[in-house]
Amino acid sequence: MDQILSKNFVLEAQEAESIRQYLNLPSVLHLLPRLVQSAQSLARPPISKFHVGAVGLGSDGRVFIGVNLEFPGLPLHHTVHAEQFLLTNLAVHGCPQLLSFAVSDAPCGHCRQFLQELRNSSSLEILVMSHVQGNMENALSFKRLSEILTDPFGPHDLLSEETPLLLESHNNGLSLLPKNALSVDGSSTNLCNGNCELSVGNENSVKLSCGNWEKDQILLRKAALEAANNSHAPYSGCPSGVALMDSEGKVYRGSYLESAAYNPSLGPVQAALVAFLAGGGVGYTSIVAAVLVEKEEAKVKQEDTARLILKAVSPRCEFTVFYCRSAENGCKNSC
Amino acid sequence: MPHTVTTSQMDQILPKKFVLEAEEAQSIRQSQNLPSVLHLFPRLVQSAQSLARPPISNFSVGAVGLGSDGRVFIGVNLEFPGVPLHHSVHAEQFLLTNLAVHECPRLLYLAVSDAPCGHCRQFLQELRDGSSLGILVTSPVGGNLDKDPSFKPLSEILPNPFGPHDLLGKEIPLLLEPHDNGFSLLPKNAVYVDGNSSNLCNGYCELSAGNENSVKLSNGNREKNEKDGILLRKAALEAANNSHAPYSGCPSGVALIDSEGKVYRGSYLESAAYNPSLGPVQAALVAYVAGGGGGYESILAAVLVELEEAKVKQEDTARLILKAVSPRCEFTAYYCRPAKSGFKNRL
Repeated sequence: MDQILSKNFVLEAQEAESIRQYLNLPSVLHLLPRLVQSAQSLARPPISKFHVGAVGLGSDGRVFIGVNLEFPGLPLHHTVHAEQFLLTNLAVHGCPQLLSFAVSDAPCGHCRQFLQELRNSSSLEILVMSHVQGNMENALSFKRLSEILTDPFGPHDLLSEETPLLLESHNNGLSLLPKNALSVDGSSTNLCNGNCELSVGNENSVKLSCGNWEKDQILLRKAALEAANNSHAPYSGCPSGVALMDSEGKVYRGSYLESAAYNPSLGPVQAALVAFLAGGGVGYTSIVAAVLVEKEEAKVKQEDTARLILKAVSPRCEFTVFYCRSAENGCKNSC
Repeated sequence: MPHTVTTSQMDQILPKKFVLEAEEAQSIRQSQNLPSVLHLFPRLVQSAQSLARPPISNFSVGAVGLGSDGRVFIGVNLEFPGVPLHHSVHAEQFLLTNLAVHECPRLLYLAVSDAPCGHCRQFLQELRDGSSLGILVTSPVGGNLDKDPSFKPLSEILPNPFGPHDLLGKEIPLLLEPHDNGFSLLPKNAVYVDGNSSNLCNGYCELSAGNENSVKLSNGNREKNEKDGILLRKAALEAANNSHAPYSGCPSGVALIDSEGKVYRGSYLESAAYNPSLGPVQAALVAYVAGGGGGYESILAAVLVELEEAKVKQEDTARLILKAVSPRCEFTAYYCRPAKSGFKNRL
């Protein structure tokens, strides 16, 4: 089973189906609990050493993995729970709906809250491995989320029905400011439109793969803007996105994912790190450059926090911030 | 139960305070001819909402709690523009921190204007026997004002919880129970004032001059500055010693001083689920608001005490929050260490 998963955080529908057949299981649902232990081995919890694995079934038949991530040197609110990783993994891979998931331990209240961001979250089916007794061949006892978080507070309390929820298509209509204020590790440089002439990185920064730093920055900036446009931030009106590049020049991007209850929101750096790991990234220190895109003077600002996290996670990573704005004026909570 | 009092009359009866002494609560109860202090809670919740500070959502949440010593405590939500949303303080967290600041050892009942979110239901697990805590949700407004309040146990709204019982031995103190982490400040104290570092000799602090942005304390008297600095440092160390951080082994405390020279302190309060943990700056801000503090800009200086090279570090984050909340506040970090060596999870 470990070989099936190896470092993959996503199983294509056909893959999942053929494994099901091979194991002679009645449905792909039955595969989920069998993959949880494997998933746990992919977790990265250096603070608690408490490995959590989650395995979810998407509406398109794909199977997704989630694991917990902890970051020494930072406060604990930067931790990524396996359930949050799972949802972010679906978001990164454009899967529009999560049907059910199996998880090694009962989701904590923070996660039960984060899960409320899904459309029809109350009917999400959850199987807790530590509650499974005896033979896994028996009928699986999934519980609905509504059973483990009764009378919930969620998007339905604050948003109208037509506002897109987590995993649904978002387009925030953001574009980069023409006269882009650019901060490279705290220094700002005014740029003309188009071709960037960025100030040279400091001695600590690592030269990017092909050595074409400007091209890489353009790639990253574009990816981060796309991530900001996909970001789910209906409560603050302050979407944001982060793009990362590793030493092989591969780009990963993640979008800020907000919670109606505010605190369980998943930051854009965390989302990008999920994309990094789910995309096959190994050591955080191979992340050489990062770009954040967010609104200038946003009421909910990620910039300083993003810088802090990246400094702890990949000290030599070069960090740049670009500001964006909505296409329409008067976007709620823009300033 | 006849109620003779309107909300506005209640607002006049109820002091705009965050703690009611036991006798006060009793005498208000008697004056309203109510069978128990708990019957006051729906109206108290409504009053409390007006004390909330949520400039991002403008969604005011009020919470009221009955302590085991008969005192009544208030909690409100706090939001901080300019920093990410995970720095928000929920009313339930404020309430528990308020009890901690006032050393009330146990919370018996909690009433709140809206159903607690999952984050709070998780944070409440840090209480001893958290699952049996009685909770009343008073919304819709006015709906519950004249009924006998019916409290439900926390276990009904968060079944099969994850909590301290999963990770800690029974003898480990939980939230609100006495903690003494046994820290003392490092003798060769590294001091960081807004990013500049100075090595100090033992004892008497000679802090490097603040930058142009810092506000001179009270009347600008350097001697008073030093005295205030020592006061703050002592308070922050005490807060670190009271801090509930059994999961990381990295307790911390923050002390604040305002323009009137009043000192407030708050302890880092950790959650078994990690993310709902309440940072030390937030805890100190709760102490500030609950202690009658006015605008955040009146906070002139702040001190953080935490373990050097802590696996879970508050320093940079504390600096960030304070810069957003009170830009002219001078921030200093001091490091401490356990009295005994070999403290678990220290590094």
